[in-house]
Amino acid sequence: MGDTELELSPSQLEELQKSPSASSTSTTSSLSLPSSPSSGPRAFTSSSPSASESLPASSPPLDVISEGVNELSLVIDTEVAKKACQEVLQKVKLLKGDGEMTPAAVEPTLVNGTAHTDPSERDSGGVGQPSKTNEDEPPPGTVKSARRRQKNNSSKQSWLLRLFESKLFDISMAISYLYNSKEPGVQAYIGNRLFSFRNEDVDFYLPQLLNMYIHMDEDVGDAIKPYVVHRCRQSINFSLQCAWLLGAYSSDMHISTQRHSRGTKLRKLILSDELKPASQRIRREVLQPPPPCPPPLHHGQGLSEHSLSPSKRTHQRSKSDATVSISLSSNLKRTASNPKVESSQDEPVRLTPQREFIKSLMGIGKRLATLPTKEQKTQRLISELSLLNHKLPARVWLPTAAFDHHVVRVPHTQAVVLNSKDKAPYLIYVEVLECENFETSSVPVRIPETRIRSTRSVENLPDCGITPDQRASSFSTVPNYDNDDEAWSVDDIGELQVELPEIHTNSCDNISQFSVDSITSQESKEPIFIAAGDIRRRLSEQLAHTPTTFKKDPEDPSAVALKEPWQEKVRRIREASPYGHLPNWRLLSVIVKCGDDLRQELLAFQVLKQLQAIWEQERVPLWIKPYKILVISSDSGMIEPVVNAVSIHQVKKQSQLSLLDYFLQEHGNYTTEAFLTAQRNFVQSCAGYCLICYLLQVKDRHNGNILLDSEGHIIHIDFGFILSSSPRNLGFETSAFKLTNEFVDVMGGQDGDMFNYYKMLMLQGLIAARKHMEKVIQIVEIMQQGSQLPCFHGSSTIRNLKERFHMSLTEEQLQVLVEQMVDGSMRSITTKLYDGFQYLTNGIM
Amino acid sequence: MFVVKGHLDAGVLMMEAPSAYQDVMCSRVAIRKDDPAKTNPRFWDELFLMKVNLEYLEAKLTSLDGDEVVMIKENINSLFHHCVQALEEEHQIKVVNALQTLCALFRGVHQKNKSATGFDIINMLVGFDKADLRMKDLMESLDGLLCGDGSESLKSLCLKLLLCLVTVTDNISQNTILEYVMINSIFEAILQILSDVSSRGQHGYDAVVLLALLVNYRKYESVNPYIVKLSIVDDESTLDGMGMVVHQALTEYNRQYKDKEEEDHGGFFSTLTNMVGSMFIADAEEKLSVQTNEAILLALYEAVHLNRNFITVLAQSHPEIDMAATPVSTLPATPTTPLGTTPPSLDMLNNPELPLDPNLQTSNLLITFLKYSSIVMQDTKDEHRLNSARLCLIILTCIAEDQYADAFLHDDNMNFRVNLHRMPMRHRKKAAAKNIPSRPLVCAVLDLMVEFIVTHMMKEFPMDLYMRCVQIIHKLICYQKKCRVRLHYTWRELWSALINLLKFLLSNETTLLAKHNIFHLALQVVNLFNMFITYGDTFLPTPSSYDELYYEIVRMHQVFDNLYCMVLRVSTNVGQWKEPASKVTHALVNVRAIINHFNPKIESYAAVNHISQLSEDQVLEVVRSNYDTLTLKLQDGLDQFERYSEQPKETAFFKELVRSISLNVRKNVSLNTLSQDVLLKEFSSIS
Repeated sequence: MGDTELELSPSQLEELQKSPSASSTSTTSSLSLPSSPSSGPRAFTSSSPSASESLPASSPPLDVISEGVNELSLVIDTEVAKKACQEVLQKVKLLKGDGEMTPAAVEPTLVNGTAHTDPSERDSGGVGQPSKTNEDEPPPGTVKSARRRQKNNSSKQSWLLRLFESKLFDISMAISYLYNSKEPGVQAYIGNRLFSFRNEDVDFYLPQLLNMYIHMDEDVGDAIKPYVVHRCRQSINFSLQCAWLLGAYSSDMHISTQRHSRGTKLRKLILSDELKPASQRIRREVLQPPPPCPPPLHHGQGLSEHSLSPSKRTHQRSKSDATVSISLSSNLKRTASNPKVESSQDEPVRLTPQREFIKSLMGIGKRLATLPTKEQKTQRLISELSLLNHKLPARVWLPTAAFDHHVVRVPHTQAVVLNSKDKAPYLIYVEVLECENFETSSVPVRIPETRIRSTRSVENLPDCGITPDQRASSFSTVPNYDNDDEAWSVDDIGELQVELPEIHTNSCDNISQFSVDSITSQESKEPIFIAAGDIRRRLSEQLAHTPTTFKKDPEDPSAVALKEPWQEKVRRIREASPYGHLPNWRLLSVIVKCGDDLRQELLAFQVLKQLQAIWEQERVPLWIKPYKILVISSDSGMIEPVVNAVSIHQVKKQSQLSLLDYFLQEHGNYTTEAFLTAQRNFVQSCAGYCLICYLLQVKDRHNGNILLDSEGHIIHIDFGFILSSSPRNLGFETSAFKLTNEFVDVMGGQDGDMFNYYKMLMLQGLIAARKHMEKVIQIVEIMQQGSQLPCFHGSSTIRNLKERFHMSLTEEQLQVLVEQMVDGSMRSITTKLYDGFQYLTNGIM
Repeated sequence: MFVVKGHLDAGVLMMEAPSAYQDVMCSRVAIRKDDPAKTNPRFWDELFLMKVNLEYLEAKLTSLDGDEVVMIKENINSLFHHCVQALEEEHQIKVVNALQTLCALFRGVHQKNKSATGFDIINMLVGFDKADLRMKDLMESLDGLLCGDGSESLKSLCLKLLLCLVTVTDNISQNTILEYVMINSIFEAILQILSDVSSRGQHGYDAVVLLALLVNYRKYESVNPYIVKLSIVDDESTLDGMGMVVHQALTEYNRQYKDKEEEDHGGFFSTLTNMVGSMFIADAEEKLSVQTNEAILLALYEAVHLNRNFITVLAQSHPEIDMAATPVSTLPATPTTPLGTTPPSLDMLNNPELPLDPNLQTSNLLITFLKYSSIVMQDTKDEHRLNSARLCLIILTCIAEDQYADAFLHDDNMNFRVNLHRMPMRHRKKAAAKNIPSRPLVCAVLDLMVEFIVTHMMKEFPMDLYMRCVQIIHKLICYQKKCRVRLHYTWRELWSALINLLKFLLSNETTLLAKHNIFHLALQVVNLFNMFITYGDTFLPTPSSYDELYYEIVRMHQVFDNLYCMVLRVSTNVGQWKEPASKVTHALVNVRAIINHFNPKIESYAAVNHISQLSEDQVLEVVRSNYDTLTLKLQDGLDQFERYSEQPKETAFFKELVRSISLNVRKNVSLNTLSQDVLLKEFSSIS
């Protein structure tokens, strides 16, 4: 280790004391050098025997990169740096590809890996010599301090590495280290390590990753970018998500910096559609280094060169991008009517149909907002959606859905405008056909609206030819309905006349059967007599049979739509849809928000999701329902609606009952199992949301923002006021959470067992959450970076959040705390005041 | 054959020449026996560079006597042939002149040979031996011009030529030359015009009228390819385009009517002056009333009747963005007047985003059509209006029979305010227009029917319209019964309108019986009540509405009693009305049962409680508590109806209608309106 070093200049010497360990140990470490994420444990054991000796040996991947970052880039031309970086990437990918392989199978790749790294290291050594002169030039202060830091950290790093390579190292920890570590090497390592996590796991932290990319320093950005670019190539959906999030989270920057920020550039790059999927290209990438290497340089000429050229490129692209999108407003249409045209054009316009689709949904929202009355908004919405239908089916999908699909139709008359004072959020139902992969599966063929098949009832569905092998061709068989005979026969109503509505086939409903019978047996002149009283009775019975539907209220059109049971709605829409007979037909719904910032909602969703996972892990039976949020820009987005749920405000207004009486009406008497189940659901969800409200300081908790589902759960919606923000700063809602007497009544009163169960759940939930506090804090903390969101107002947001977990209290003390909070909330005058305030100002009960 | 080279020079030269030059040449061609091309090899080439004097040519042809015509047949054939060839020219002036010459030829030859058979006319114009080929060429050229990227004026002229050709005879089915238009279909060209936004704006009206007429060619005698093709169109944008054109035309009519109405009732002072004025100019004002547009209505009918997919267009709203999204065409308004009949105003189509008026309601074709119907139905004295009203009701019948249409008519989520026009009548106040609630569209249809029933009980009883009206109601109720749609409608208004109708029939029995079978209508009306009585549980909105039905019947029992007496009397006599009258007797069984059951109950209730006049609530109370002892008879086939079919019942009506439309279109198609100056200006820059 020493010989060469002696010949070096002091500065060189200092430097080599830590990082060049790589160059000198490169030969010895050849075995463990390529140890990378998936083979981590193996490499770890092999190098463990002598900890001090093997520590540097086990860290080569780290050093290779840090070397590349720190030195190569400075001294050697960018090409080499790029190469080194690519090799690391390549290895990661190779291993990722072979992730599930046996160690034996991994061996050759390892050898390959070393063979590849060696030259680059030799290069570094070789070029290192002449570079001595250069070495003095860069500002020594920064470099040196950086090195010193590295030196101090070197032992810590090795421990870190062991951690990184252990099985325990999950995405949450990766994000945490990426955020907290100031070490470019660590960051770069984690950047690579991202490739080894499951896509879904990383996706959860996508807002965090991108926010770091936008607002944190170059190193973090450089570490993240390769992964993002890689994923963008793979998936249209991911590309769009990234583009939207990048746009949304860049919006808080000053406009002048925003234009040149990394986030904006990456967004442009993605939207330019330069990150092509080209299936063979993906294959090649696995074997060869990917062309766009993350510029692994944080200062020096290399940077300017590198960052300039892409910006030039993206600039040009953006122009062509615009022209493409213009031509595509018509293209979307063409895809709808003629899938053949589309398939040929599919390549250049990967992202456009979906962008146009989203754009038109947002456009509708904007135009609705200009209309004064709900009634006009509803009419306009329906008519706009019916026009949108003309362009469907197309290669578009709802990003909030959990499966791949193509949107085929929007049942426009089912859409409703939601209650909002000045914005016009609306809820649409969307008919989709599930498919293997929305990028490659062919877009379904359009079926005209009027072609409601007479085979509408469920029994007849199998007739529609859905054997597995026919499935593929089923799209092409559909247009065959289009023969002339069909067009000429116009006697739907004839069939309809004899067809009995299969909905109400209860015994009291045989009058229509009578009539049908009598028609057929007209010869038997036997007159049939009926009692007028029966007719009248049936009428009142049938109306009484459906008491759970809400009355139509033009001022609250969504109440009826939301109250209808989901299954019922699906059945109804399916029957009326020309696509309903297809076996892969599904109904989805989505709330389109235009003019609203959903970034806080997204943050709340992430926290809820995290807490849900924690409680599940700790087996605390708390129930919460995080609903998916799609942020499209800083003032638009989509929300996945909670099905089978209406707001407590709507419940009370429509039923004119107290909450408890409503429970009794909907679920049955106190002692029935249905009621008890609903009550338990209520308690579990109530406890869950009380904790959420407390931890996140969710405000604006009026009854319009609390939903009640058909199983008795409550669900809080609208996280517009969380953490440091509260509505109008009136100082209302000072209690920890909202717990009205009505809620307590449903739980069976303050002395009931269920109420004790409620408090016990709260305590357990709080203890569990406390245990994993870091995972929750992390989500919030990263999003605070560069954010102007009101929830981060002030400087103590995170500190206050941490305090609410009460890490210092014993469990007994926590129990007291929960008691106090419940007590305080129940007696809270402010809750009532706030409800009264809402009633006065917004008419919310 | 033509020497195309050098035509520009010739063009410049000939433009200086007097405009009559070509007329003379044309008629010379027609009259002279020898071939003009022999003396002047560039004769044809130059001919079409000159302006056509249509009237002159037409008059010249007409003025010839029989022998002369036969003599110049060859020349006419030759002129026709060269016209067709000139359509292929790239020099647009030639195309224009050729188109106009063709038009004059068609008209002139037809005028001359009114009595001649279609074949003779073809022979005279084209010549039998070459007719197939020439007409094929003509249609192909027209198709090419209509679909090409050429001048809009040229397209307009092509459509006018076609309209001219289609309407040369009074009876379209006798226009044998249309066989060639059937064989060489221009259907696709028409569709293309309708699907494109800008061409739709300029030529949509002519295209729609042309299509409506072509569909009616030998409709009942042969297979008309236009019918077949129209029935299977499923391209939304095309159907939507067609709907838009109809929508615009009807909207324009409604607007004109409203303007006029406001003019008439513009305030107290103007009302006063009007009253004074109308004493003198009542007749003049009658003429001023907006002329109905049957051609466009016929187009709507054919679309609704033939094409199932068109039904969706009816409910297709046309928010302003649809127009705003389309780039406003280059020419703000071409100086062409599409047709003399109330054309859609172009600025409506080209209007960028309409102001967001809070009172502005999203409209759709169906709403506009209902409003239009409400205007047209107000006054059915005039023959045109009667026809229009009849056609409106036929269209509504077709709509009421269509399942998909019924679905959106009854869709609870599609609520609209429809301001129907109501005839000002002495005994009722003008309803406050703004207070109409937003309801499913079927309510507006029912309102319209009720309105018609109430306002047309007059001496000149429009029996046929009443029948259609009641049948439409019946069909809608059948749908509601089948699909268990509980419409929140004020059924009471319908019931009382129907009872009043029965009352009218009774009091005018003798005069009406002379002309109509009133028993048929009475049976329909009584059966509507039977629907409510026996199937009310399946579609009435509330139990109390069923009570109200009984209340209404019991309250008006005198009408039913009288009706029963009357039909009983007629059915016991021997005569042509015996059978239909006895049917009504049977149909009345349940109504009579109700009356006979409740009347004594109500009387005894009054007696017991010592009340002379029972209030409505008290009667309803009696009704409610006495249902159980009432037995009704289930009648057969109440929910059965005869489906609408054009043949054979309506054929006479449609033949007459098409004839009247043809006359009107022929009168108004004028190719001269396209002034030469405009064309020259346009084409000198193009070529």
